[in-house]
Amino acid sequence: MRQRIGLLGLGFMAPAMIMVVVFFLIPVIMTAFFAFTNMGTATGVSGGEYLLTPKIIKQFEANQTLDEKVITALGSSSYIVNKTNLARAKEAGLKSKYLGEIDKKLHGKTFASRRQFERALKKLKSRPRNTRALIKSTAHFSNSVLNTRYETLGDFKTALSNNGAILAEPQLKIVTQASYTGWIWTTDNFTTMFSKPDTWFVAVNTLVYVVLVLAFNIFFGLFLSLTTFYLPTGQSVFFRAIWLLPRISPPVLYVLLWKWLTWDTGFISTVLGWFGMAPYNFMLGSVESAWTVVILINGFVGASLGMILFSSAIQAIPTSILYASEVDGANRWQQIRYIILPQLRWPILFTTSYTTLSLLTSFEYILLSTRGGPGGTTNVWALEAYFTALNNYSGNLQYGYGAAMALVLVTIGISVSLLYLRLFKFDDLVTRPRIES
Amino acid sequence: MRILLDKFTKKFDDTVVINDMDLEIKDGELMALLGPSGCGKSTTLFSICGIYQCSGGRILFGDRDVSNVSSQQRNVGVVFQNYALYPHMSIYENIAFPLMVKKMDAAQIKKEVHAIAKLVHIGDLLERRPSQLSGGQQQRVALCRALVRRPDVLLLDEPLANLDAKLRLEMRSEIRRIQQETGITAILVTHDQVEAMSMCDRIALMDEGKVLQVTTPNDMYHNPQTDFVASFLGNPPIAFLEGEVAGNQVLLNGSQLKVALPSSIRQPDNGTKVRLGVRPELVGTDRGNAVAGRISFIETQGRENLYDLTLDNGAVLRSIQAVRSDISMGQTANWNIDTERVLVFDTNGQRLL
Ligand SMILES: Nc1ncnc2c1ncn2[C@@H]1O[C@H](COP(=O)(O)OP(=O)(O)OP(=O)(O)O)[C@@H](O)[C@H]1O
Ligand SMILES: [Mg+2]
Repeated sequence: MRQRIGLLGLGFMAPAMIMVVVFFLIPVIMTAFFAFTNMGTATGVSGGEYLLTPKIIKQFEANQTLDEKVITALGSSSYIVNKTNLARAKEAGLKSKYLGEIDKKLHGKTFASRRQFERALKKLKSRPRNTRALIKSTAHFSNSVLNTRYETLGDFKTALSNNGAILAEPQLKIVTQASYTGWIWTTDNFTTMFSKPDTWFVAVNTLVYVVLVLAFNIFFGLFLSLTTFYLPTGQSVFFRAIWLLPRISPPVLYVLLWKWLTWDTGFISTVLGWFGMAPYNFMLGSVESAWTVVILINGFVGASLGMILFSSAIQAIPTSILYASEVDGANRWQQIRYIILPQLRWPILFTTSYTTLSLLTSFEYILLSTRGGPGGTTNVWALEAYFTALNNYSGNLQYGYGAAMALVLVTIGISVSLLYLRLFKFDDLVTRPRIES
Repeated sequence: MRILLDKFTKKFDDTVVINDMDLEIKDGELMALLGPSGCGKSTTLFSICGIYQCSGGRILFGDRDVSNVSSQQRNVGVVFQNYALYPHMSIYENIAFPLMVKKMDAAQIKKEVHAIAKLVHIGDLLERRPSQLSGGQQQRVALCRALVRRPDVLLLDEPLANLDAKLRLEMRSEIRRIQQETGITAILVTHDQVEAMSMCDRIALMDEGKVLQVTTPNDMYHNPQTDFVASFLGNPPIAFLEGEVAGNQVLLNGSQLKVALPSSIRQPDNGTKVRLGVRPELVGTDRGNAVAGRISFIETQGRENLYDLTLDNGAVLRSIQAVRSDISMGQTANWNIDTERVLVFDTNGQRLL
């Protein structure tokens, strides 16, 4: 009977399913989607335009992707008097008398530079007396594609042919691709990521961070729950409450306290100062001290979760079992080792997996304390992704690259949880329903 | 090993649970701690094994004062009321635990565990987990674990309370057999007087943290020192009749009925108020003095019937007799009380001898 999935069961599951879809599946899919684009501040997230800049032309020159003739053509800024350009000028509101004279005297002529065109225009009677107006009027006859935005590919291609550059199909493709300002599909994020040495440095940092903070959390949580278990009730409640403070205080405040503690004008330095030690910034003074502070900050926050879970699991052990182990001759250590710890297997598994996953993605305490410093030595994957995608100094946010980093994190997170399930024989731990249906 | 409680006192904060208790358990004896719920039996037991610290007085094992010795060092085997088996260990590991924490070598442990498991008849259950055993099997495992390290003292806290009637009967003789085979000094906590009487060498009857009487089951049944002791032992329980001494008889309150005093007791003064304790087997005998009453209740017990005889002052006597077809409810009866064996108590409940 248990094989049959009842409608009622599905009904109870539905809210959870919807939550999973909305808050997990959709974000993951979005991340996966962004990860394969080159979206960023430069490209925007909607479509783009075509803009050929001198910089791009310089790149063509440097890479020699196009032959020189084509490059000069693209870069040329010739002025042509023809029907299209005259019409364009008319539309822009230039006087028809002036335009008529241009049409009559200069029709079909090409000028290599604005200077030459200007000189020719100055000879006309109906020209604007104002020099600036005259210079402005030249713009309509320019056939340069440089620094002009074209909204569609068609416009850009027309402009290119107007310009006189004769491009074969593959060349055209190179030029349009290089000039496109919008986002495109690409796997570049991943190739770049895995080829960059920085990536591996941050990856190793992340591993160190997760393993050390996790170990600290579990062992310190265990230590706290065991020691408070053997204390009289009043005292144990008090100590547990104290260790809960890091968790419940706002991160900003909590990190601020650490700053007061560790900065060169802070508490530790002041106290050490009384013994003649020079003030020292423990948070950013050296790589080792920065790591120590980062691990302690995160460790104390996380330890409370383990402490609470382990404490309640220990409380749930029947006292008679603890009594029995005592009269059986087990000392404190043996009691912990053989009676208490085996009963904590499930909460330890839970805390380990939960903490691993939250540490993989957590960066807020590092951001608030060392900001990844000194010199990026305490930078971790999630923080790097945050800087890349959402917040950096240059202002050039790379959403696509950041999403690619996040996607790697999600993949690792899922693999790690699967590994844990295997390692701790999760199936054994999930007891069968007590009430058989 | 002899156990001696010397002015033993146990308080929880300000609540005095056991006050100045003196009790000696002789070497090799099975002593029952019998008493109503909440009288402090478990507390006494837990103090003997060192789970609770004494608040006053001394506890001696042999000549050794163990009052301040930790439970790990006392070498006591305990069977807890709910057995307290370690749920995450196999039966083998459960039994081996006391030896393992002593760091005995594995081969030796194996030998000991198998030997004790054979003694208690659970040799074929060693691979299982506690949750896969029946209550009676768990009880045996708990017994094994308590015995495996050859403790000086074995303490049993209501070990049979969770078992069904048949299994309980079986385990009673089983525990007694094992205790006698090992010759261990043991204390059995129980609130079941049948259990105490059928298994133990002696019974210590407790009430409200005090030991009222310590003696053999037989003596306690026949010579209780107080009416409480008399009422606690015996099933169906003893009935009490209140009255006043008039010569060598007792005139029952609110009635003209008279019951003769046993000739063996010292004659109290006339007018002394007394309570007569009459056990069911003393009513409806072929000697003694007759009282009249009405049959108010008949309970079938199989081989025997239990009859309630209500006297004219409302007092109820119980009588246990072979099944009789000549008696029915509401009928009047004139039955003998075997007055020579009636127990006489003063108004404070003390036995008059
Ligand atoms: N930890 C404690 N703190 C305060 N009072 C306690 C504590 N443990 C027991 N008591 C009290 O001591 C008295 C004796 O308790 P104990 O457990 O010894 O009873 P018991 O004779 O074993 O009863 P039962 O047959 O119901 O098990 C009870 O009144 C109980 O309320
Ligand atoms: Mg008890």
